[in-house]
Amino acid sequence: MIGLLKSMAVTMKHALDGNKFTVQYPEETPDVSPRFRGVHKFSQERCIWCRQCENVCPNDTIQIVTDDQRNGEQYNLHIGQCIYCRLCEEVCPVDAILLTQNFEFTGDTKHDLVYNKEQLMSVPWYKDIDPLESREPDRGGWIGEGDGEVDYQ
Amino acid sequence: MIGGSKTPLQDTILLPERIGDLTGLGEFGMAGELIAMFIAAFIVGNLMLAMTGVAGPWAKRKITAAFTDRYAVNRVGPFGLLIIVADSVRLLGKELIIPENADRPAYDLAPIVVAGSAMLGFAVIPMGSGIHLADPEVGLAYVFAVAGIASVGLVMAGYSSANKYSMIGGLRAVAQNVAYEIPLVVTGMSVVIFAGTLQMSEIVAAQAETLITVGGLDIPMWYAFVNPFAFVLFLAANFAEIGRNPFDIPEAPTEIVAGYQTEYSSVYFVLIYLGEFLHIFLGGAIIATIFLGGPAGPGPAELGIVWFLVKIWAVFLLTQWLRSALPRVRIDQLIEIGWKGMLVLAFANLVLTAIIVGLLETDLALSMVIFA
Amino acid sequence: MSTEPELDADVAEMSFEDRLEALVGTRVLERDDHKNAPGFVIRPDDVQDVLFDLRDEAGFDHLSCVTAQQYDDRYESIYHLKQYDDPTREVSVVVPTSTDNPVSQTAEPVFRSADWAERENFDLVGIDYEGHPDPRRILLPETWQGHPLSQDYNQEKPQVVTLSEHANPLQADHKDTETDTMFLNIGPHHPATHGVLHVKTVLDGETVVDVDPDIGYLHRCEEQMCEQGTYRHQIMPYPDRWDYVSAGLLNEWAYARAVEDLADIEVPEYAQVIRTMGAELCRIAAHMLALGTFALDVFGDFTAVFQYAFRDREVVQDILEDLTGQRLMFNYFRLGGVAWDLPEPREEFFEKTRDFLDDLPHKVSEYEDLIVTNEIFQIRCVDTGILEPEVAKSYGATGPTARGSGIDMDLRRDDPYGYYENLDWDVITEDGMDNYSRVLVRMGEVEESAKIIEQCVDLLEDWPEDDREIQSNVPRTLKPEADTETYRAVEAAKGELGIYLRSDGTDKPGRFKIRSPCFHNLSTLAEMTEGEYIPDLIASLGSLDIVLGEVDR
Repeated sequence: MIGLLKSMAVTMKHALDGNKFTVQYPEETPDVSPRFRGVHKFSQERCIWCRQCENVCPNDTIQIVTDDQRNGEQYNLHIGQCIYCRLCEEVCPVDAILLTQNFEFTGDTKHDLVYNKEQLMSVPWYKDIDPLESREPDRGGWIGEGDGEVDYQ
Repeated sequence: MIGGSKTPLQDTILLPERIGDLTGLGEFGMAGELIAMFIAAFIVGNLMLAMTGVAGPWAKRKITAAFTDRYAVNRVGPFGLLIIVADSVRLLGKELIIPENADRPAYDLAPIVVAGSAMLGFAVIPMGSGIHLADPEVGLAYVFAVAGIASVGLVMAGYSSANKYSMIGGLRAVAQNVAYEIPLVVTGMSVVIFAGTLQMSEIVAAQAETLITVGGLDIPMWYAFVNPFAFVLFLAANFAEIGRNPFDIPEAPTEIVAGYQTEYSSVYFVLIYLGEFLHIFLGGAIIATIFLGGPAGPGPAELGIVWFLVKIWAVFLLTQWLRSALPRVRIDQLIEIGWKGMLVLAFANLVLTAIIVGLLETDLALSMVIFA
Repeated sequence: MSTEPELDADVAEMSFEDRLEALVGTRVLERDDHKNAPGFVIRPDDVQDVLFDLRDEAGFDHLSCVTAQQYDDRYESIYHLKQYDDPTREVSVVVPTSTDNPVSQTAEPVFRSADWAERENFDLVGIDYEGHPDPRRILLPETWQGHPLSQDYNQEKPQVVTLSEHANPLQADHKDTETDTMFLNIGPHHPATHGVLHVKTVLDGETVVDVDPDIGYLHRCEEQMCEQGTYRHQIMPYPDRWDYVSAGLLNEWAYARAVEDLADIEVPEYAQVIRTMGAELCRIAAHMLALGTFALDVFGDFTAVFQYAFRDREVVQDILEDLTGQRLMFNYFRLGGVAWDLPEPREEFFEKTRDFLDDLPHKVSEYEDLIVTNEIFQIRCVDTGILEPEVAKSYGATGPTARGSGIDMDLRRDDPYGYYENLDWDVITEDGMDNYSRVLVRMGEVEESAKIIEQCVDLLEDWPEDDREIQSNVPRTLKPEADTETYRAVEAAKGELGIYLRSDGTDKPGRFKIRSPCFHNLSTLAEMTEGEYIPDLIASLGSLDIVLGEVDR
């Protein structure tokens, strides 16, 4: 009986202290970590069309179309199929593709979630977090010094 | 101060008569009285339905959320109150799916029996402020009788749904109700011994006296204070009877999906669900009436209904509190507690009450001295 | 090693391997040593004989895993045997069978865990086990054509199975006067099956007479997906998706350990500490969820304990998000280390972790008030779902399920990896063998994990700045030597998560076999619940803490 009363005391304490742990989403945007992996952003200016991201992707999310001169024509990414493993960003030698913190995307059909390079370029930053900055300390091995400002827009 | 006036409630006029007087319907003989009765029943019925069907589910969400550190409904309207409208539209707009092998008349009747039996119970409950439909001399027996009909409804629902989960749920409901109806009624009997009557208004009136005065505060002679043991026993049996935690075995969502209501949808589901809420509130009303002094409370007698509702909601709150904190017992454990524990305790309580009341009556003057 | 005293002097001087070889004797056709263990090739009709000897004479009482694979010229079953007392002692029994008649003797009479394991091998690879008591498919539907992991299986061909070939799942009610039992499908859609599990139950009133878990609803052929990925990058995201309820890093470690063993990759000490910390954070998150869902099964609604457990798990998830960048599918481990160092500013991360650890005792005491000391919880859980240690061993149960039955095995201590051996912590065991013990074990492990994390945080805080190497140098394209085989296991949240890897000289594994702890733990369900009531069946299922993503893979 003591145990029952102790259980009841615990829940009543929670009821009375008024603390809530729900995040009221649209009004209160959740804080995501700087490392959080959301929708991709792509920079055509930086891309050298080396196809490493396409090759490393574990489930064929990225499709690159080039002409016979190896000039890039299309860069398509199915963000509904993506598993957000960040391997594409990891292997990219020029930071042309990276994952923003943005997790807010919708589509009425799965085809709406196939983003072409223009759509990928216009993915907004989430709360103006630049993921490159937060991940910079670990990236030296892949890219060395960057070459100037990164322009994704 | 407590208990308002000392006028016994049976002296006040019942609601149908009052309506008859106010509208002049009473002058039309039997037919007029009948119409007045219908109007009165309509008012009481809607009051209870509004409380259970409308406020109940909303309050339940809010209370559960408070216990679990969440917000619950807060998007539609102020405090999420309009969710009630949205819910109604949603539930009533759903397709009524009837299983192919359902035993039709029983399947259709069960929701009505479940909800109806609880509604009938409210007829004899004195709610204060003159809201009291009927006051038969066997009021308490009547309440227990009609509330017991619900078991029939549950077994009908369980059996006729042609679903094995429903079947198990229905059988569990019956086993549970049979095991707990007896301690419930026997414990109720101890109150009857105190009050010396089955009439609800008399039981309420008997609790109006002052039990003891502590520091200028009159503690009324509510039977919950006079016999706390019986009160706890009755509460426990009542939770089992209405199937609330820790005795929500007939539904047991994680075990048998939803028990007898698994196959019900749309309006039928609403009725079954409503019936359950009505039973919680009827249980609360019975407890309030026979243990907590009915509509008695500080302030003028007109506030009776307010105090009465406060007491019912307190019982409802308790059900939700237990729900948050207590695991469900197993069916065999429940039956064991019922037959081996509750029944014995209930009879012990009855015998003890009888002895004490006997002693008190032989030496009433002496007891008055002690209590004073 | 019960037989050790009986061995005479010159035998005792022989190495362990030689003694084993002597024990198996003439039945050894040849040696096929794996990276981790000696391997003996035996004839398909000697299986039971050899396994009985190894179990009774050499003390190999744990059939950890049964791998099946097809080579160009043969099928092969590998029985990975271990000892519960000392899991570092391993031996592989390799049973080749011909391609045209892949029939091998069943090991089911020796180890009950072979029952399901061999069914899976039949299902996916196509080896017939002679004498198996229940030779059905286990993951794929009965109507499936072919065996997906065999070489002649046509991946392109769709599985056209006409409706008429399906057994009608809704059979007509069958009544007779002989029996008064009732058949009940619990699942695949049921509130308490923790995913899509189908338990075929036979009831006598409220009493469970027979239980037959039907799994495979979440089967994704993860093994094959891993076989199609490159070692270096593409496989690591997948382990997160086996036990997907926040135990991701523990699963990743299983893969990382297997490959690091296979390709002899060194892991820097600093990375090992980070791995250890991350893995234990995952364990806390996973055990919180186990506690919450078990309470959900016993309490009955989404009420307090469940919500509190989730709220507390949320804190862990935030820390893991800071560390790895994701909340569930971490993809944080890399071969030879981890992907990232601790997040900057490091002080903030340490503070956050310490805050969590400081709050934990208070939270644990709340759970104790809510469930451990609750009398109704006790009458529901004590002495229900009894799993005897001998039965548990025979079924290959591991993890908290085994430790709740008093089996003192924890790979973190017994087969050390990572940084565990340098830290101070205890293995929790309970002797109750019931649902209650399993809950207590998990709650105890949460506290032990907190101890480990605290020590790791201390270490990381004082780690010299110029020595923070997070990854060793691993070639971009990893091609381990052909025909290297290894079976490596780690202590995941649910028990022993093992990976068998065979390299074929390319940058993708030739065979990738997952030994799932949930799979083997779930097979004990029938032993635990037959003769109990339905609510105990539900509670026992909850106390096993299965994740269907890992059961079905």
